[in-house]
Amino acid sequence: MTKLKLLTICFVFLIATQLHAQTDWVKWDAQTVSYELRKTQHHEYTIDKSDFGMTLISFGRNVYYFFISDLDGDNCPFNPTCSQFLVQSIEETNIFVGPLMFADRFTRDLNFIKGRDHYQIIPNGKLFDPVCNYTLNSKKIKF
Amino acid sequence: MKLSAAHKNGSLQIAVLLIFLMPILNFAQTSYNNSGLFSPVNRLKFGNYLFADKDYLRASAEFKEYLKSFDDDTVRFNYSLCLFNIGKYEEASDNFKTLFYGNPFTEKARLYFYESYFFGKDYKELRDLADNQNYKSVLYSKGIERLKNISYLMDDSRLPEMNSFLSVFDDSVQSRIAKFYYQKKNPKHKNPVTAAIFSAIIPGSGKIYTGEIGDGITAFITTALSAYLAYSNFKADHNFRGWLFTGLTAFFYSGNVYGSAASAQIYNARIRFNFDKEVKIYFGERNYFLPKSDY
Amino acid sequence: MKARALFILSFMLFAFVIQAQDYLKLQFNYANDLFKAEQYYDAITEYKRLLLFDSTNTYRYQAEYKIGESYKGGAKYDDAIKYFSHAEKDAQGKDEIFAAKTQVIRSNILRRTTDRALQLLDELEKDSTFRGEIDTIYYWRGWAYMFADNWKSAARAFATINPSHPLKLLADQTDRAKVSVTFAKVISYILPGAGSIYTGKILSGLMSLAWNAAAGYWTINAFTSNRIFDGFVVGELVWFRFYRGSIQNAEEFAVQKNIDIANKSLRYLQNEYKGIKP
Repeated sequence: MTKLKLLTICFVFLIATQLHAQTDWVKWDAQTVSYELRKTQHHEYTIDKSDFGMTLISFGRNVYYFFISDLDGDNCPFNPTCSQFLVQSIEETNIFVGPLMFADRFTRDLNFIKGRDHYQIIPNGKLFDPVCNYTLNSKKIKF
Repeated sequence: MKLSAAHKNGSLQIAVLLIFLMPILNFAQTSYNNSGLFSPVNRLKFGNYLFADKDYLRASAEFKEYLKSFDDDTVRFNYSLCLFNIGKYEEASDNFKTLFYGNPFTEKARLYFYESYFFGKDYKELRDLADNQNYKSVLYSKGIERLKNISYLMDDSRLPEMNSFLSVFDDSVQSRIAKFYYQKKNPKHKNPVTAAIFSAIIPGSGKIYTGEIGDGITAFITTALSAYLAYSNFKADHNFRGWLFTGLTAFFYSGNVYGSAASAQIYNARIRFNFDKEVKIYFGERNYFLPKSDY
Repeated sequence: MKARALFILSFMLFAFVIQAQDYLKLQFNYANDLFKAEQYYDAITEYKRLLLFDSTNTYRYQAEYKIGESYKGGAKYDDAIKYFSHAEKDAQGKDEIFAAKTQVIRSNILRRTTDRALQLLDELEKDSTFRGEIDTIYYWRGWAYMFADNWKSAARAFATINPSHPLKLLADQTDRAKVSVTFAKVISYILPGAGSIYTGKILSGLMSLAWNAAAGYWTINAFTSNRIFDGFVVGELVWFRFYRGSIQNAEEFAVQKNIDIANKSLRYLQNEYKGIKP
C-alpha cells in the first residue's frame, strides 16, 4: 500500500515535469481592459482640506504650479518633484520638520553630480526619492 | 414444445437486455452532478491531473472535495502541498500536521511543516518549534536545523553562538556562511547622531561621513555662500538682503543637519537591504540546503 | 442466436458510447454557461475537466479554444495565447486553424504587442491556405495599427477591404484631426507660447509668452546697464528656463492632444462600434 502511494506521487511528479506551469495562483474575475492610450501624469491641482495649514500650503503649491512649474518645463530630476516633496513632507510630518526635509532635498537637487547609484531610476527616467525615506523612521525606508 | 422453448429463449434475452439497459436508463434519471465527472473518484483523478499541471489552486479545490468523502493520506499530503505551493502557508502547516503520525508521509510532512513556517516568514515560531524539539523528524532533522539557523539571518533576532550556527552546514560552505554571520553580527552602520553632529560643526561633513560626498560638498558650498552673502550684505548696510541670506543660511544649515541624520539611516537601511538580498540569493540558489523535492 | 447476442452487445456498446457523449456534452454546456456568465476562472476549471475525461478528443479543440477565450476575458493574454496555440495544434480543418490563429493575433493586439501581431498577420497573408481570408487579415491588421496609434496605416489596411469601410473613415478622420508635434515645437522656437496656443492651450501659451517677454526684458536691461553678472543669472535661470519650458510644453500639449483625439476614437470602438472587436 505504501509503495503504491509513493508510486502514485512519483507518477504525478513525472507528469508534472512534462507539463507547463499555470499562473492561476489566486481566483480571478473577468476584466475589461480599456482600449484607450495611457496619458502621462500632470500636476494635480488639489486642495488638502484636512486643516487650515494644509489648505494654505496646497493652495500655495497650486499657485506655484500655475504660474511657474507648468510653464518652465520639466526641470526636476526627482520623483516626487521638489514642490510635491514639500507638501508631502509636511503632510507626513509637521510644519517644522517638513521644511527641514525640503531644505535637504533642495540641497541634494543642487548637487550636479547626483549619486545615480543611490537613487532608483523609475521608468519615466526620474530618480525615485520618496518622502518616507526622510522621516527618520528607519522602518518606513524603501528602495 | 419447440415454439415454447424458442419463446422462452427470446424472453430470457429480453430480460437480459433489460437488466443491462436498466443502469443506462437509470443513469439518465440521476442528477448530473452526482454522475461521472463529479464523483469523488473522478474529482481525485482531475485533482491529480491539475496537480501534475502545476495548477495547484484548482487541484486543491478538487482534493478538498474528495477529502470530504474519503480520508486518504496521499490526497491529504498532495492537498497540503497545493496549499504550500500557492503560498497558503498557515493552512498548509495545519494540514501537514495531520500527517505526523502513522502514515508514510510522517517525515516529509514534518519537513514541509517547518518549511511552511520558514517560507511564511514566521521565523520566531519556526525557531520555537525547532528548539522545543516538537514534531522532531528523524530523516530531516539537519535540514530543519539549517532552516532554523538561516532564519536568524532573515530577521532581527539575536544570533546564536557561531560554532553551533555553522555546525549544521557542510564544510564547503561554512566560510561563506561565516561571512554572513559576521556581517549580520557587526554591520558597518553609520550613526545618525554622529552624522548630524558632524554637519552641525562643519556643514556637509555628516553627508560625507555617510558616503554622500557630492551632497556634502554641495551643502557646504550653499551654506557657506549664503552665509558669506549675508555677511557682505550686512557689511554693505543692505540689511534686508542681509536678513534674507541669513534666513537662507539657516534653511540650508538646518536642512543639512537633519538630512545628514536621515542619510545615515538610509545608509544603514541600504546595508540591511543589500544583506537581505545577498542572503536570499545565496540560499535561494541552493534551495536553502533542503533535500531535493520529489514534487 | 449468435446474431441476436451480437446485436445485444452492439446495442450495449452503442448505448454506453451515447451515455459517455451525453455527459461530456452536459459538461461542455455547463462550462459554456459559466463562460457566458463571465465566470471565466470556473469556466476554465470545467473545460479542463472536460479535456481530461474526453478520451475521444471530441471536444478538445473547442475546450482549448474556450480556455483561451476565458483567459482573454480575464486579460491574461499570455495564457490565452498559450491555449489558442494548443487549439491551433488540435484543430481539424482550415477554418478551425484560422480561427485559432486569428485569436492569437487578437490577443496580441489587446496585449499591445503590435509588432508580433503584424508579424503573424504577414505570415498568415503569405500562407496560400488562407487566400480566401484576406479581408479578415486586413481587418485585424487595421485594428493592430489603431491600437498602435498609427491611424494612417490603419486607414490603408481597411481601405484594402473596402474604400468606404466604416473603420477606414474613422481612421482617416482621426488621423486628420491630429495636430503636428513638430510644427508646435518649431513655432515655439520662433515665438515662445505659440505652440501651446496652436494646440488649444491659449492661457498657458499667453502666460509663457509673458514670462519670456519679461525675462527677456530683464536680461537685456541688465546687459545694457552693464550688470553683466545679473544679465547672465536672469538669462540662464529665468529666460532660458521659460524659453525651454515653452518648447517642452508645446511638444507635450501636442502629444496629449493627439492622445485625446485617438482615445475618443478608441472609446467609440470599445463602446459603440458594432462590428467584431479584438
